[in-house]
Amino acid sequence: MMPQVLTANRLSVGEVVYWNAARGWVAYMHDAEILPDDKAEAVLKDIGARGVQERQVVNPYLFDVRVDGSTVVPVKTREAIRAAGPSARRDLGKQAD
Amino acid sequence: MPADRAFLAVADNDPLPEGPAIVSLARFQKERDELLARGEKLGLRLEASESPELIGADVHKIALIVLNVPYFRDGRAYSWARLLRTRLHYKGEIRVTGHVLRDQVAFFTRVGVDSFELPRPASESDLEAARSEISHVYQPSVDGRETIWDLRARQRKSPAS
Amino acid sequence: MYRYDEFDAQFVRERAEQFRGQVARRLAGELTEDEFKPLRLMNGLYLQLHAYMLRIAIPYGTLSSGQLRKLGYIARKYDRGYGHFTTRQNLQLHWSQLPDVPDMLLELAEVEMHCLQTSGNCVRNITADHFAAAGSDEIEDPRILSEVLRQWSTLHPEFSFLPRKFKIAVSGSAADRAAIMVHDIGIQIVRNDEGEIGYRVYTGGGLGRTPFIGHEVGRFVAKTDILAFIEAIMRVYNESGRRDNIHKARIKILVHQIGPEEMRRRVEREFAEIKASGTLQLPEAELQRIAAYFAPPTFEDLPDTSAQLDQAKKSDPAFANWLRTNVDAHKVPGYAIATISLKAIGETPGDCSSEQMEALADLMDEFGQPEIRVTHEQNLVLPHMRKRDLYALFQKLDALGLATANHGLATDIIACPGLDYCDLANARSINIAKEIARRFADLERQHDLGELKIKISGCINACGHHHVGHIGILGVDRKGVENYQILLGGSGAEDASLGEILGPGFDSEGIADAVENVVATYTKLRHGGERLLDTYRRVGAAPFKERLYAR
Repeated sequence: MMPQVLTANRLSVGEVVYWNAARGWVAYMHDAEILPDDKAEAVLKDIGARGVQERQVVNPYLFDVRVDGSTVVPVKTREAIRAAGPSARRDLGKQAD
Repeated sequence: MPADRAFLAVADNDPLPEGPAIVSLARFQKERDELLARGEKLGLRLEASESPELIGADVHKIALIVLNVPYFRDGRAYSWARLLRTRLHYKGEIRVTGHVLRDQVAFFTRVGVDSFELPRPASESDLEAARSEISHVYQPSVDGRETIWDLRARQRKSPAS
Repeated sequence: MYRYDEFDAQFVRERAEQFRGQVARRLAGELTEDEFKPLRLMNGLYLQLHAYMLRIAIPYGTLSSGQLRKLGYIARKYDRGYGHFTTRQNLQLHWSQLPDVPDMLLELAEVEMHCLQTSGNCVRNITADHFAAAGSDEIEDPRILSEVLRQWSTLHPEFSFLPRKFKIAVSGSAADRAAIMVHDIGIQIVRNDEGEIGYRVYTGGGLGRTPFIGHEVGRFVAKTDILAFIEAIMRVYNESGRRDNIHKARIKILVHQIGPEEMRRRVEREFAEIKASGTLQLPEAELQRIAAYFAPPTFEDLPDTSAQLDQAKKSDPAFANWLRTNVDAHKVPGYAIATISLKAIGETPGDCSSEQMEALADLMDEFGQPEIRVTHEQNLVLPHMRKRDLYALFQKLDALGLATANHGLATDIIACPGLDYCDLANARSINIAKEIARRFADLERQHDLGELKIKISGCINACGHHHVGHIGILGVDRKGVENYQILLGGSGAEDASLGEILGPGFDSEGIADAVENVVATYTKLRHGGERLLDTYRRVGAAPFKERLYAR
């Protein structure tokens, strides 16, 4: 199994966020905590559930990443798009921040 | 109105209680004669897939029909309630139970449902608030409530009102 | 067009306030997401990839200049300054925030608009021919019935929790510009032998995972009976539609499973019951009241030819090109129907910026246009332009990037938002649309190819209507990589047909080449002036398969 990242959307603004134990729910994937596969499920059940219960986030889930040296690359295109913003509008989303 | 607590729901294989009972359609079909001969008011519980037409001519002998909603998305109970009130001319109590959201109460009331067993109890004032958030309705339904079309017609007749 | 009276206005205001209460309860934790989701969906609010998406209802695609201007304003104030016009004539805003939505709904209410039932398992936006009241082949304006059905189906107590979404389309002429044959209910306005106007009703059409062409269930339904007839279909569906499997829950599956004969029988039985109890007739006075809103505007008595237009056509080749494709004949002399393309080469199909919306609203006022229409092919239409104003309109549209002369041609591509935006998508569609448009940008080449409808969906849900594209493209996820299947031979018009998958899919690099190969096969084999669709229907898939796959 692959290393994973915990993600969700903020309940209020709908923004894509990622979990980092030291910093909480962060905006950018490169700030996310990489979860080893044997820990990830537990984090989802604990942090994800708590985030929902505390009305911070909705739909928490894990996704696979590859670690290339210091770069974290999501395995799925969908997650790359969620992290950056729409490829059809490079001036929008986190890629434009 | 809050659900009438005098009725007791009883499982298919359990003995009937002293007073009024609510049985499944299957049990009613199996034990019809005994159930009707009891001299007690009888309640019938319909699952979402069970059309009230399955009750047949005995429908008027049933004092309470409980429509089970397994999941809020299952909208068959609205049609069943409507069917009971219109084609079957059912005059008894219709109750809805199961996974029903407060925000569905207004719809159920319109199609002829009298009482509710909500997963989370709601006060009568809360239910009334739920019913009256939207003042007017567009389409006619079982409740015979005046529709926006009726209101417009009334307005045309007497513009001052 | 329809104007709200106090009741309509109060309805949408109260609805906005009701939603405000629901949002507050959600944010305060009194509603879980599971409980809130159906409520927000009934107000057209989705959670997509990047943010909430708000789908604004544009009943039968008709907007006033005030409404269009307000949409531009809302997109600027609350979103990222643009919106996306959809294949159901609605507008989507892709960057909404939950706490803003109640205010957005109130702003919409101010211009007689709402987001009711643009999602959820209920009757969705009722779509109609975008040439309504202008096309010369029209029997009756389809928007009258559409408005009647819209009111009747709004917060319908019995039909708000259907097995699945329910889409109705209405066409008022023999030419089907509303794709009625691929809707849950499609209604065609017809005349019987006595010359009376009535409705031919189809049901069980639909796209998505399992596409079907609709079946006739009512040959000629009288005007006095149509509401009862529609109610009968809906009741049969609500009672008998499948609820065990979300992919088998549309009415098309029910019709397929029980057969059209049995469907007809059940509908007729229910219809007879409704009629017997004497309920559900729209009061005649109410029908007249609604119909009056769709009375055609007062047309000037104009000559059919315009010297200005003829002169401009000669002197400005770009305008001449635009006239060729983007202007259609109007039933009144001196008038014309102008299509505003939202398919500029290299731009996202169907997207429109706030600036463009506001400028278009100004143009509507300048040229005395009471209405603008959204088409299911993601363009806009000014249905009642004076011919003498067409050149001035063209020049202003050109300055706004809205004068692409490609209506109905290869670059007039329909594409869903796809994986760039949509939570349900498996592949991106916009980039593919842009690449194909770039390849076919040459206008002479497009004219040589003639009418060519390319439709792209980013997933099996088929919001891009790929099943009814002459060339349809379906984006899938193939082992984690975006892959694109080609379908050929679909049509959403009155000659409705479903496209057939040609063979294995192509990756992002190869799909545009594959489309070029399909087109090359067509140009090689075509007879006379036939379209690609016609050639495909004549020669079948084999020559196309050979070109694309034989190696």
